[in-house]
Amino acid sequence: MRDFFQHITRLFLREVRLVATDHSLLLTLLIAPLLYAFFYGSIYSYKVEEKVLLAVADDDKSELSRAFLQQLNKMQIAAVTGARDLQDAQDKMYYGECQGYLYIPRGVEKKVLALQQADIVLAVNAARFLPSSELAGGITTLALTVGAGVRLKYNEMQGLNSQMALRETQPVNLDYRPMYNARSSYGAFLLPGLLALILQQTLLIGLSESMALDKEKGRVPELVKTGGGGLSATLWGKGLFYMLLFCCYAFFFMTVNYTTLNIPFRGRVLDVAVVFFLFFFTLIPLGIWLGSMFRSQLMAAQMMVFSTYPVFLIAGYAWPYESLPVPLQWVSSMVPTTPFLRVYQSIVQMGGTLGDNAASVLHLVALSGFYTLLALLGLRRLNKRQQSIYL
Amino acid sequence: MMRSIIHIMIREWKRILTLPEHYIVLLVLPPLVCLLYGYIYNNQFARDLPVAIWDESHSPLSRKFAFMLEQTESIHITQQVDNEASVQKMMEQGIIQGAIHFPEKMDDHIKSRQPVYITVYTNTAAVVTAKLIYKDAAKVLITAGSGVTLQKFVKTGMPAGKAMALVQPIRLTSYMLYNPQYNYQQYLVPGLIAVALQMMIIMVTVLALNLEEKRGTFAELNAMANGSASNVLLGKGLAHLSVGWLHYILVTCIVFPLFAHGRIGGSWPLFILFTLLIMGCISIGLMVSAIVSDVMVACDLGLFYTSPAFVFSGFTFPRWAMPWYDQYYAWLMPFTPFLDGFFKVYFMELPMHYVYKEAGQLLIYIAVTFPVALLFLQRKLNKLSLQHA
Repeated sequence: MRDFFQHITRLFLREVRLVATDHSLLLTLLIAPLLYAFFYGSIYSYKVEEKVLLAVADDDKSELSRAFLQQLNKMQIAAVTGARDLQDAQDKMYYGECQGYLYIPRGVEKKVLALQQADIVLAVNAARFLPSSELAGGITTLALTVGAGVRLKYNEMQGLNSQMALRETQPVNLDYRPMYNARSSYGAFLLPGLLALILQQTLLIGLSESMALDKEKGRVPELVKTGGGGLSATLWGKGLFYMLLFCCYAFFFMTVNYTTLNIPFRGRVLDVAVVFFLFFFTLIPLGIWLGSMFRSQLMAAQMMVFSTYPVFLIAGYAWPYESLPVPLQWVSSMVPTTPFLRVYQSIVQMGGTLGDNAASVLHLVALSGFYTLLALLGLRRLNKRQQSIYL
Repeated sequence: MMRSIIHIMIREWKRILTLPEHYIVLLVLPPLVCLLYGYIYNNQFARDLPVAIWDESHSPLSRKFAFMLEQTESIHITQQVDNEASVQKMMEQGIIQGAIHFPEKMDDHIKSRQPVYITVYTNTAAVVTAKLIYKDAAKVLITAGSGVTLQKFVKTGMPAGKAMALVQPIRLTSYMLYNPQYNYQQYLVPGLIAVALQMMIIMVTVLALNLEEKRGTFAELNAMANGSASNVLLGKGLAHLSVGWLHYILVTCIVFPLFAHGRIGGSWPLFILFTLLIMGCISIGLMVSAIVSDVMVACDLGLFYTSPAFVFSGFTFPRWAMPWYDQYYAWLMPFTPFLDGFFKVYFMELPMHYVYKEAGQLLIYIAVTFPVALLFLQRKLNKLSLQHA
C-alpha cells in the first residue's frame, strides 16, 4: 500500500514537471480555464437583453398611438426608432438597424373610440431568435394591457364602480411564476453550464494532449514503470494532478465566478462537491483513453477542439435530451456531461440534492467504471506496443 | 511568378491530402460535423414537454382548459399534483418542466364576477423549455380568458362585433419573418456549421508554414517560391480557398437543403460573403503561422481565437446585450461581420447591396493580416536564403 502511494506521488510529480515544461499544456491547463471563465462569463454578465430596436411607422399620429408608443418605449425590452413610412421601417430592418417594425395604420384611434376593432401590424426578424421572441412577447402583452384599459373605461362608463369595473375587465388572469430564474434570463440559465463546460473541456484537452505526448515520445513504458508496473496506479497517479487542479478550479468557479457574475447557488456545498469529484473521476480516465488513441499531441489538440460544441449540444442542457433523435440519446448517455449537468443544474439552480438525482449519480458512477476500464485497456495496449518496439 | 504560385498550390493540395493534421480537419471532419449538427436538431422543435396539472377546481372549465393545453405542441400533461411543494420537488428531480394550477371554485368565481388567477409554473433554470411552455400556456389561457369575457358581453345582449372589439380593441397581427415557427434546426444549424468551418480553416492554416519548418520542408518550399513570400502565401492561400469552396458546395448543396430548408447552391451574395470569410480566416491563419514557429503554440492560439467566435458573434445572445469590451472583442473575429451579413443573405435572402458594409469589414481582416504574414514570412525566407548562401 505504501509503495502504491509512493508510485502515485512519483507520477504526480512527473506530471507536474511535464506540464511545467510544455507551453501548450501550461496554456491549456493553467491559463485557459481562468481566462475562459471570466471571458465567456462576462458576455452574459447583464444576463438579459434590453432595448431591442424596433422601427415604428405611425400613420395614425393620434393621441392613442403616441401613448401606445410611449408605453412601448418604457418597456425594458424595446427601444423605439422612428420611421418615415412602412417602406422606411422595412429598409431599417434589412440594413440591420432594427430587429423588426411596428405599423400603426391611419384610423386606429377613431376605430377604438367607435368600439370597433383596430388593427396594428408587427413584423419581427425571427431569424434572430432571442430578440424577436422577446419583442413579440412584450408587444403582445402591451396590446392586451391597452385592451384591458379600454374595457375598464367601458365598464366604468356603464356605471360600475371602479372596483367592480376592474374585476369585470379581466375575469381570467394569468399568473406566471418562472421558478429558479425569476427574470427568465438567458445568462442565468447558461452561465452555470458554461462554467462546467469550460472545466470539462480544458481538463479533457489538457489530459488527452499530455497522454498523446507520452505516446508520441514513446514514454508509455517509462510512465507505467514509474507507476510500479501497475496500470491502475499509472492511471490515477497521472490523473491525480488533474483531479487536484480541477477541484481547485471548481472551488474557485463556484465561489469567485459565481459571486462576480451574481449566479445564485441554491444547493448544498457538499452535494455539489461530491458531484464535481465524481465528474472529474469520470473525465480523467476518459481523457487518458482519448489521448491514448491520438497519434500526436497536435492531433489531440486539433480533434478535441471540435468536440466542445457537439458535446454541449447533445448533453440535454441547451436542447432537451428527449428532443434528440433516439440514436443521439444513446450517444448522449455515454457522455459524462449529460448526467453531470442534470445533477449539477438541479443542485445549483434548483436547490435539489444528490438523493433527488440518484439515477443520474449512478449513471455517472457507471460511466466512471466504463471509462476506467477503457483507459486501463488503452494503457496496456500502448505499453505492450512500445515495449515491443524497444525490444 | 504564376507558375511558382500554381506549383505551390498543387503542392499544398498534396499536403492537404496526405498530412493527417490537414486532411482529417479539412476533409473528414466537415461532413461529419455538418451532418451531426443537422441531426441533433432533426426534431426541429422541443415537443411534448412534461407538465403537471394541479387542479383544485375539478370543474368542467378546468378540464376544458387542461384539454386545450394538452393540444399544444410543447405541453404534455404527465402528472397530477395537489400542492406547490410537489411541483417544486418534481422539477428538482427533472420529472416535470412546468405546471399549471387551477384555483378552487374557479368556475363559481368567474360566474360571480370575481377574477381568477391561473398560475403557470416553469422550470426556468432551463430557459428554452420554460419559454416554450409559457408561450403555449399563455396563448391558451389568454384565448380562453378572452372567450370568457366575450361570452359575458354577448350574454348582456351586445352585438358580437362590438363584443369582440371590447375583448380585443387593438388586434395585433404579428409576423415572425424568416423563421415563422421558430424552428431550431432552421435557425441554429446554418450558424453552427459556419462557425465550425471557419474554425477548421483557421486551425489548419495556423500550421501551414510552421509545420514545414518542423518537418524540414521549408527549404524546399523556399526554392519553389523563388524566395518570394507572396508566392508562398498566394499558392497556399489558393489551395485552402479551394477547400473552402468544397465546404461551400457540401453545405449549400447537401446540408442546408437537407436540414435547414436552404436553397440548393445558396446564392451569389452568400457565395461572395463566404469566400470573404474564408479568405479572412486564411489570412489570419497564415499570419499566425508566419509569426509563431512552435506548432503547438500556434494550434493553441488558433483554438483560443476561434472557439469563442460563436458566442461572441451574437448568434444566440445579441452583441448589444454584452458589455462594451466584449463587443469590441467580437470584432477581432471575422465571423462577427460574416454573421451579420449571413442573416441578410441567407435567412432574409436580400441582394448583395445590403451587405456591402459587412463585405467591406471582412476585407479589412485580409488587408491587415495578409501584409503582416507577408512581412514575417519574407524575413524568414531571407534568413533561410542567407544561411544557404
